[in-house]
Amino acid sequence: MSEPVNIRLLQPGTRVVLEGGATAEIVSNPQDGVWVFARFLTSPDDPDRIGSEEMVFAQEIVEVGEAS
Amino acid sequence: MASTNTTGYRRGLVDLGKGQISREIFVNDEIYQEELERIFARAWLLVGHESQIPNPGDFFVSSMGEESVILCRDRAHKVHVFLNSCRHRGMKVCRYDEGNAAVLTCPYHGWSYSTDGRLVGVPYFREAYHGSLDRSRWGLAEVAQLCLYKGTVWASWDPAAPPFLEYLGDFLPYIDLTLDAWDGSDGGTEILSGIQKWRVPCNWKFPAENFSGDSYHNISHRSVDLAGIGPSGSGRRDMPELLMARKLHIAFPEHGHQTTSYLLPKEVALPPAYQHSSVVSEYFRECEEARRNKRGDWGRMIALVGEVFPNTAFLARQPRTLAAWHPRGAHETEVWRWFLVDRNAPAEVKDFLRQYYIRYSGPGGMTEQDDMENWNYAHAASRGTIARRYPYNYEQGTGTEIENYEWESFRVPGVVCDLTRAKSSEHNLRNLYRRWAEFMEADRWEELTSGRRLGRAEAAE
Amino acid sequence: MATTRKDGYRPGLVDISAGQVSREIFVNEEIYREELERLFARVWLFVGHESQIPKPGDYFVSGMGEESVILCRDRAGKVHVFLNSCRHRGMKVCRYDEGNTPVFTCPYHGWSYGTDGQLVGVPYFREAYHEKLDRSRWGLVEVPRTYLYKGTVWACWDSAAPPFLEYLGDFVRYLDLTLDGWDGSEGGTEILGGIQKWRIPCNWKFPAENFCGDSYHNISHRSVDLVGIGPSGTGRRDMRERQMARRLQVAFYERGHQTGVYLFPKDQATPPSYQHSPEVSEYFAHCEEERRKKRGEWGRLIGSPGEIFPNTALHPRQPRTIAVWHPRGAHQTEVWRWYVVDSAAPQEVKDFLRDYYIRYSGPGGMTEQDDMENWNYAHAASRGTIARRYPYSYEQGLGFETENYEWQGLRIPGTVMDITDAKSSEHNLRNLYRRWAEFMEAESWGELATWRLARAAE
Ligand code: FES
Ligand code: FES
Ligand SMILES: [Fe+2]
Ligand SMILES: [Fe+2]
Repeated sequence: MSEPVNIRLLQPGTRVVLEGGATAEIVSNPQDGVWVFARFLTSPDDPDRIGSEEMVFAQEIVEVGEAS
Repeated sequence: MASTNTTGYRRGLVDLGKGQISREIFVNDEIYQEELERIFARAWLLVGHESQIPNPGDFFVSSMGEESVILCRDRAHKVHVFLNSCRHRGMKVCRYDEGNAAVLTCPYHGWSYSTDGRLVGVPYFREAYHGSLDRSRWGLAEVAQLCLYKGTVWASWDPAAPPFLEYLGDFLPYIDLTLDAWDGSDGGTEILSGIQKWRVPCNWKFPAENFSGDSYHNISHRSVDLAGIGPSGSGRRDMPELLMARKLHIAFPEHGHQTTSYLLPKEVALPPAYQHSSVVSEYFRECEEARRNKRGDWGRMIALVGEVFPNTAFLARQPRTLAAWHPRGAHETEVWRWFLVDRNAPAEVKDFLRQYYIRYSGPGGMTEQDDMENWNYAHAASRGTIARRYPYNYEQGTGTEIENYEWESFRVPGVVCDLTRAKSSEHNLRNLYRRWAEFMEADRWEELTSGRRLGRAEAAE
Repeated sequence: MATTRKDGYRPGLVDISAGQVSREIFVNEEIYREELERLFARVWLFVGHESQIPKPGDYFVSGMGEESVILCRDRAGKVHVFLNSCRHRGMKVCRYDEGNTPVFTCPYHGWSYGTDGQLVGVPYFREAYHEKLDRSRWGLVEVPRTYLYKGTVWACWDSAAPPFLEYLGDFVRYLDLTLDGWDGSEGGTEILGGIQKWRIPCNWKFPAENFCGDSYHNISHRSVDLVGIGPSGTGRRDMRERQMARRLQVAFYERGHQTGVYLFPKDQATPPSYQHSPEVSEYFAHCEEERRKKRGEWGRLIGSPGEIFPNTALHPRQPRTIAVWHPRGAHQTEVWRWYVVDSAAPQEVKDFLRDYYIRYSGPGGMTEQDDMENWNYAHAASRGTIARRYPYSYEQGLGFETENYEWQGLRIPGTVMDITDAKSSEHNLRNLYRRWAEFMEAESWGELATWRLARAAE
């Protein structure tokens, strides 16, 4: 099992990898430890999501990448 | 235990004709449960002050009856009041006293609500709910009605209740005496730092009737008078107007609101006050003058205490405060007290007042401590099997009310009892319980808004 | 306050097809009093474990519903469960938590009962009673039905209830996942040390539904995951199977029992776990292998939280525990938690697990504290006049249940919801309340034992 990500530390601009392989960039962080607002950069399952800003659930974030 | 249904609230428990009220209404748990339904779920309640939530995303966790509510300002600056309970499994969504949030996220399973109450985040909405949960139906429960008035925020759970200003009726100008600045400028007040919250082991109606205008208990503050905490160094307040003004009980029988106010003579200037600080003394002297100019005859009116039915108290004269008596069971009350000052007052005046307010009011205030002592022991000594059999006496000044009171060419709205000579009366207290009984008996708001004749008929008995 | 009689339990308060349950059933004191009669006085309840009373005269004071009962072993080695209330004037006869005694003597006037419940000592029997008191009629009140199953002791006040194994139905195989040794050996478990008892200010159904399989609230344990109390040094559990197994919710409609399970693929080994101790890691690897051999296809199943209707919770995976949610009024629950280990495990394994269990569960356990926080506040925020008007939502996954679930050659008993991709569902929670409503409405066990009706019709 991969290390759980502490999403409260994620700053705007940080890129994250989601379950299922999509990637997104943090737009803002409400600091509730449950959600972040992020913009989809890639989305293999659902290309319609690319470019959209959504609330992303903590448990869906599996990996933290570099800040862009 | 008197059964409420067989005895009835009027005559049986609240007999204003005789000036007697049963102790049951203070100590009976069954009656208390009905109060939650019939009074607190229907009346207008004070939930806070706009100055507590100036920016989008600001929230203040308040209370309505026993329940926690969130007062917050959404991104479009609109003010809302929500039940602080998640729609999914009831979890208390917001567990802070106040703050700023982008979204209100429930700590249990993570449902997340926007500051306008919409359900915007549902974990695994696509996967677990297959996208089928109708999020528009599961937003935070919002109060049925909300009203912002000169900075104060009021709410009601009942869509059938009349709008707030109608609920207040002609009592409105008396509320203004607390919410306008001392110089008479409209709504020129703000909340002075945080609010105080504490619990008192008594029924919420003990403080409510006290602040309706019980000046009879002044004797119990004698020790504070002797200590001399007042802003001029003696007594507990500056009350130079006592010597020249008419002291009036003013009640609105069809609304249940009431106040004790002072009506100053037409052409006499007030003696100086706040003499411990020349800046403060000068400030109030100027305000006094400005108010008389601005407000004309209304400028002669200074309120002391009062109560908006059922549980919002104001103390209009310095220490100027608003209080909510939140019920916490039949036998406990949680007091929340907001402290008000003129927004434009110099910092030195605000500082001076802060110290005076704290000396006077709140859990550590010398005057309020006296009151709590009386309420605590009165409640405890009224709970017993035997004690409950003896009704309280409310007959002071029965029959001395005046419908069209006028003094030195100022006609005072409301039904008045002049205490200048009488020293004291229970006119206002009777008014509180008259309305209380009407709420407890009425099944619909129509009965409550057409109760004028009923109430009068009874008062005349 | 909704009156129960007027609305009825179904669909007024528990509307399973709409996926909504009224808050009244959690906070209404009138409904609570009916629960004591209709649920707790009629169902099978867990009262303890035989390993707590190994010798004649051993006793353990347990609870059934709100009431205190004495679980004890008499001189002949027989296990009994008695109401802990003196027949003379109702005094609590036994006021210790556990111990060994030749007789239970009431502290009030001194009536004394044998460990088989018989009234054996009556002060001034000759003088005061003139020997007329019929002692055989005034023994301790005994629970009419008890059943010992793989060490666990169950009891039921209702003589009309079906026998325990019939009450469980096929669910017994899931109960085995907690009671058998990890290597699959029958009933190869014992209780580790004493039990933990504590109170929480919430209705008993908050923890009950949580342990039926509420994995949706995992997010609230995020801080524990980040601290990393797990037995391999990260997270809060070893959950490597998540990556390979099917994650299922299994419910028994007619009985009200439900559990989560992990179903492993047919020919893949379980990844290593318990890596903070080579000995423990080795022990579990060995057990995994043994179980697969011994149990065949069924050995591919590992349990996750489950619940035997109404208030016995199972936590079959390490920390392995059994919990009872004793009601203490509508607004309070007393939790009793028993810790279970393989009786044949080496001492080092037991020690390791004890440390881990306590870190995780119980009043001081990091994970359980999160849960309690949620239940406390959820209950309090649901009690109010206004709050009660808003039902809870239970519609997650409604309509996605599978009747004959099978994966890689194993057919799973019960009605299944596969949450491997769905992540979460309220299937099991709905099952709890479906059965709850049936109990609250049924006047007799005849109406409740629906499987008998079906059989009779065949
Ligand atoms: S109780 Fe709020 S998300 Fe479940
Ligand atoms: S109550 Fe037990 S002997 Fe009297
Ligand atoms: Fe006072
Ligand atoms: Fe949990």
